[in-house]
Amino acid sequence: MRQAVFVFGLALASAAGALVVAQETAAQDQALAANALDRWNRMSPAERERELAKLPPARAKLIRQRLRRYNAMSPQEQQALRERYQTFSELPPAKQQVVRQRLREFRQLPAPRRPIVHAEVERLRALPEAQRQAQLNSEEFRSHFSPQEQEIVRDLTQYLEK
Amino acid sequence: MTCPMVSHNSEMLVAYAAGELDMESVASLERHLADCPACRSVMADQTALWKALDAWEAPAVSTDFNRRLYRRIDTEARLSWWERLTRPFRPMPLRHALPLTASAALLLMAGFLLQHPAKIAPVEPRSPTVRADQVESTLEDLELLRQFGAVNSPESGHSDAM
Amino acid sequence: MGVAAAALDYDAELMLRVKDGDSACFDLLLEKHRASVIHFVYRLVQEQAVAEELAQEVFLRVYRSRSSYEPTAKFTTWLFRIATHLALNWLRDEKHERGQDRLDDGSPDLPIRQVSDRRPSVEQEMVQRVKLEEIRRAVAALPEKQRAAVLMHKYEEMDYIQIARVLGCSESALKSLLFRAYETLRARLAHMGRI
Repeated sequence: MRQAVFVFGLALASAAGALVVAQETAAQDQALAANALDRWNRMSPAERERELAKLPPARAKLIRQRLRRYNAMSPQEQQALRERYQTFSELPPAKQQVVRQRLREFRQLPAPRRPIVHAEVERLRALPEAQRQAQLNSEEFRSHFSPQEQEIVRDLTQYLEK
Repeated sequence: MTCPMVSHNSEMLVAYAAGELDMESVASLERHLADCPACRSVMADQTALWKALDAWEAPAVSTDFNRRLYRRIDTEARLSWWERLTRPFRPMPLRHALPLTASAALLLMAGFLLQHPAKIAPVEPRSPTVRADQVESTLEDLELLRQFGAVNSPESGHSDAM
Repeated sequence: MGVAAAALDYDAELMLRVKDGDSACFDLLLEKHRASVIHFVYRLVQEQAVAEELAQEVFLRVYRSRSSYEPTAKFTTWLFRIATHLALNWLRDEKHERGQDRLDDGSPDLPIRQVSDRRPSVEQEMVQRVKLEEIRRAVAALPEKQRAAVLMHKYEEMDYIQIARVLGCSESALKSLLFRAYETLRARLAHMGRI
């Protein structure tokens, strides 16, 4: 009986160990996603080529182009961008998707509108929450920005913390 | 040529609108269209339809699509192993069943921890290797953030994407 | 299609290697075809989450059947046959559960961002949104096989023979079905004027 209890306890411990491994894997998954670019740059050229070969050629080519441009940025520019990305990657996936979508819409705005919308986001982000909400709900805000621009400002202000 | 509408042969008109006709057929059809209002009307509608369908884009694929698929493949492989282990089952006295069950559980957990991953390469490998599509989405996010942040800088409005 | 002809179909070659245990080839097939499968299923069922779930099932079935795979048709014919089968089954189950054509119920599942021709003005956005909704509904109102045929022809650029093989009908039956579908779509969307 004592032996059976011992064996059973060992089985339970193994189960708990498996659960911990699974949780660590999930954490590793997130860490992997957040540092994908850094990890990619640490891979050997052969490993990188092997991964790129799995994609259709057009996509692989675009990735190579973007990597060259990123690696050509100054260390300060890369660091600033990495910090912004860190904040973004800490958002839950659903909110990341919202931000991603708003940034794409922002990119599609006419050139003269972009600095105006950008300035509004920066201005509102600096305000305390109550004041920010009051401004976002004001007639003045609505009259200066189209419905799409309002959504861009609203979501980027909320999710892109300083 | 025989009028496609008269001969109930809209295949040619559809192929023309889709840009699938060979040069000779295009020339022949265009000569006919000059004199046939019925065909011209159908052609205009079909061309307009083609253009409208072009505008219907599908959403982007989730970045974790592959990971979820490989997990399902993995889970299926493990379930099969479990099923093999638990067959056949016959009732037995508890004093035999308990240690046997515990040992079986222990073996199962050991197998779970030690067994190699499914034959499919794991989407989230334990090594530093990163998939190309992970890098691709990271680069896109970085570019979106960079473009937003660069709006008031000298590169504002610069269309040189990463 | 005999085994010799499979040599001309690179995807079939890859699948034969998967059959032999080369899992990297499954990765390649997945990367190459997942977008088109998902997009095809999406336009059929018009729900993104469902489309991805069904697409996962498509690739699961491809993987499961690797040991018995024989290249009797083009790989994409087989792939889209599975996709069409699963999507149409889902549509029939949905219709049965809800007792109506859910896809035609007017509830938009497609935000404006899916219209490729984005314009800055609000009015143009509204126009595009309405157009897209009309297109979506018109396609959703087609009988299932016609819908699948149109999507394969228009978006996957498959030829008539291949689409016929996917749907399990003759080429002439497929052409009849497809051109009837286009005629219906033209009639339904004609009220929008020359789009």
